[in-house]
Amino acid sequence: MKTKVCGLKFTSNIEALAKLPIDYMGFIFYPKSSRYVGEELDVFCLKNIPKGIKKIGVFVNEDLDIIMFKAKKYGLNGIQLHGEESLQICESIKRNGLEVIKAFQIDEEFDFEKLAAYRSSADYFLFDTKSKQYGGSGKKFNWGILKQYKGKTPFFLSGGIGADDVKDIKEFKHEQLYALDLNSAFEDVPAQKNKNKLARFLKEIKMTTKNKYAVDERGYYGQFGGAFIPELLRANVDELRENYLKIINSKQFQTDYHRLLNNYVGRPTPLTKVENLSKQYGTNIYLKREDLTHTGAHKINNTIGQILIAKYMGKKRIIAETGAGQHGVATATVCALFGLECVVYMGALDVQRQAPNVARMKMLGAKVIPAVSGNQTLKDATNEAIRDWIANPESFYLIGSVVGPHPYPDLVTRLQSIISKEIRKQLQEETGNLNPDYVIACVGGGSNAAGAFYHYLNEEKVQLIAVEASGLGVNSGETAATITIGDVGFIHGSKTMLMQDEDGQITEPYSISAGLDYPGVGPLHAHLAVSGRVSYISATDQEALDAAKLLAQSEGIIPALESAHALAALDKIKFKKEDVVVVNLSGRGDKDMETYMKAFA
Amino acid sequence: MNRIDQLFQTKKKNILSIYFPAGYPHLNDTNSTLELLQKKGVDLVEIGIPFSDPLADGPVIQTAAKRALDNGMSLKLLFQQLENARGNIAMPLILMGYWNTVYKYGVDHFLADCRKSGVDGVILPDLPVEEYEEDYKAKFELAGIYNILLVTPQTTRERLMQIEKSAKGFLYMVSSLATTGGILHYDSKREEYFKKVSQLDIPSLIGFGIHNKESFQHASRFANGAIIGTAFIKALQAGNSEKFLNGLR
Ligand SMILES: Cc1ncc(COP(=O)(O)O)c(C=O)c1O
Repeated sequence: MKTKVCGLKFTSNIEALAKLPIDYMGFIFYPKSSRYVGEELDVFCLKNIPKGIKKIGVFVNEDLDIIMFKAKKYGLNGIQLHGEESLQICESIKRNGLEVIKAFQIDEEFDFEKLAAYRSSADYFLFDTKSKQYGGSGKKFNWGILKQYKGKTPFFLSGGIGADDVKDIKEFKHEQLYALDLNSAFEDVPAQKNKNKLARFLKEIKMTTKNKYAVDERGYYGQFGGAFIPELLRANVDELRENYLKIINSKQFQTDYHRLLNNYVGRPTPLTKVENLSKQYGTNIYLKREDLTHTGAHKINNTIGQILIAKYMGKKRIIAETGAGQHGVATATVCALFGLECVVYMGALDVQRQAPNVARMKMLGAKVIPAVSGNQTLKDATNEAIRDWIANPESFYLIGSVVGPHPYPDLVTRLQSIISKEIRKQLQEETGNLNPDYVIACVGGGSNAAGAFYHYLNEEKVQLIAVEASGLGVNSGETAATITIGDVGFIHGSKTMLMQDEDGQITEPYSISAGLDYPGVGPLHAHLAVSGRVSYISATDQEALDAAKLLAQSEGIIPALESAHALAALDKIKFKKEDVVVVNLSGRGDKDMETYMKAFA
Repeated sequence: MNRIDQLFQTKKKNILSIYFPAGYPHLNDTNSTLELLQKKGVDLVEIGIPFSDPLADGPVIQTAAKRALDNGMSLKLLFQQLENARGNIAMPLILMGYWNTVYKYGVDHFLADCRKSGVDGVILPDLPVEEYEEDYKAKFELAGIYNILLVTPQTTRERLMQIEKSAKGFLYMVSSLATTGGILHYDSKREEYFKKVSQLDIPSLIGFGIHNKESFQHASRFANGAIIGTAFIKALQAGNSEKFLNGLR
């Protein structure tokens, strides 16, 4: 849900509030209002408000010329019309490229039928309490009346909303409720808002309103997800589903999880501005340094969280699958830390390809079982891990990405969301803005991308780019670009996009990077692709190798081959000079040295 | 009347069901295997639709499925083979496969082809009962194709009730928590589970781990009969399937 703080005029107050996660600021240009900006509104201060916050001018029955003059002078993004303005005025303003918010004063007699006429000329409606002075009464109206509003134009809810209304807002469910308009209840004196009071309220609202890309009660993201598992796994999956939220929302889990992330994993990981690369691409590139975590990849964020859940559930034996061995190592690591038995399934072919990681897992005390079924890679290792879980329901299956039956995709997404949580905070400190223009991440199953995107999913202005591995090329038949070439199907208990032949047999993927060599993708990503929220592109083996070399030689950082696919996207997008681009560097390249040595020999 | 109901109305005990993968060991063996099973008095047949990722199956069925796929077996081809078979085959026929192959084929198309080729029911282990009820039950019932549902030792009483409500034909009682091809051990808890399920109004067959005459007879004491899969596939592979079937009765 968006928020608008209205009735501002004092420079220092505006500057202070600009640091809050609000979406709109409103300035009242109606001379009879006690919050009228008058002549002292600071043009320079308004121009410096971050792009993420839209500036709205509020007028009452004003002439179009004056409205447009003020809009230009103060760089307004939209106009709120709070009187009896005609349709023509709305349309003229809209034609000038400004957002139009048409306000209406609501009481029991209000006729919602008349709103239909404004449908094409107003971007939003604003529903305020009816009063004699065109709003600003500071009183609430009976929101129940809005049940009668069945139109398609989203609206701002206004009129006396205060800190005590969080619960009512949560319970007030209206499909078109778009934003809250906040004003007098957060003031010390007229037009002077209390920053702390607002900040607390915004935080509470954020926690109670629904994220439209979140999983629903049935375990679905839009049409994708669910738990398509044999009855044999039902009790196992139900046990986890019934416990996971309770556990991760508990104080004890949060304390343990964050303590381990800070003191064992090495978080927060830095956000590094890479100056040389930025210069080459003519923009501002930041790397989120998951490569600097303990064990060298983002995978540990997830295994730390899941091992705590396993411990709280009283589990003694951990099962995991691994492709490149990164998740296997991260699992073996946390099992060693917590003294739990660890069994890792790894495709027999991958056991040969990733010998150093096999050695690490063994040294950490894990038992590595080569999966000899199917094509002997990650897909088959996952099958074997699930079969083990069928036979050993008292064990905990510690899955390695945002895949599998519900609740795994949601669980792993939540655990990886620490990545974007940190990016926001770090960017704010670095650039003064929580939001970059782009976030780029590679996608195998999709966990590092889910984590890097998570807190930006509802910030529609932030462009999210996911990079799949296209191997020898999207149409070569030797590829792992699931979303690019796959279609809807079922894999490892989830309805999602996958690579399959015309008979529904799952096909073997190919990529130079073992971590991206998976024929499916998490259901969240299938949903983000179909809904258009995230752009899915791909990079070939060669493009990834080139990108890895470039980063190594211009910044002194050797990336994992998986992460190199995300870096390869820098070549595929035209950035503006002022853009802020964050690339999630999911892991370090130590494990890939043999491949790099061969490629660059 | 559906042939599955007919069978359970006329025979209450020692019902023998055999599972084998289509197109195994050779592509065109499906029909000759069916004829052999009928000749040997098998009551019910489950024909496996081969799938690349059979999650609930052990190594023997996995390998057999892979071989069938390598032979060129597909659902489309299976329906063609069955259309020729039905004339000589009176046993109820059930297709057993994973949901992805059916979904990809198209559920309506699949049901229509089941009817056309005389298939009486299906077993789709990874289509959970709630998904079935929500999206597909009406279609299956309209087509008269029975969706045979699985229960396991871990299925709670509540869930058992839910499954029974949607079940048709019989319940597939999975003997143990394992993939196919294991060994079935009896203890008091297991017998209690078998008794609980066999007390329901719907008939039941026990499967997973039944591999010879002795285990068949033992399991049949707790249900209307039992299902043999892995052991029969091993016999097919060794070329002594007829002898294996002779030894079961
Ligand atoms: C460094 C690194 N990045 C990315 C991935 C891909 O996984 P995901 O898409 O779940 O982030 C892996 C998987 O092994 C990895 O090791």
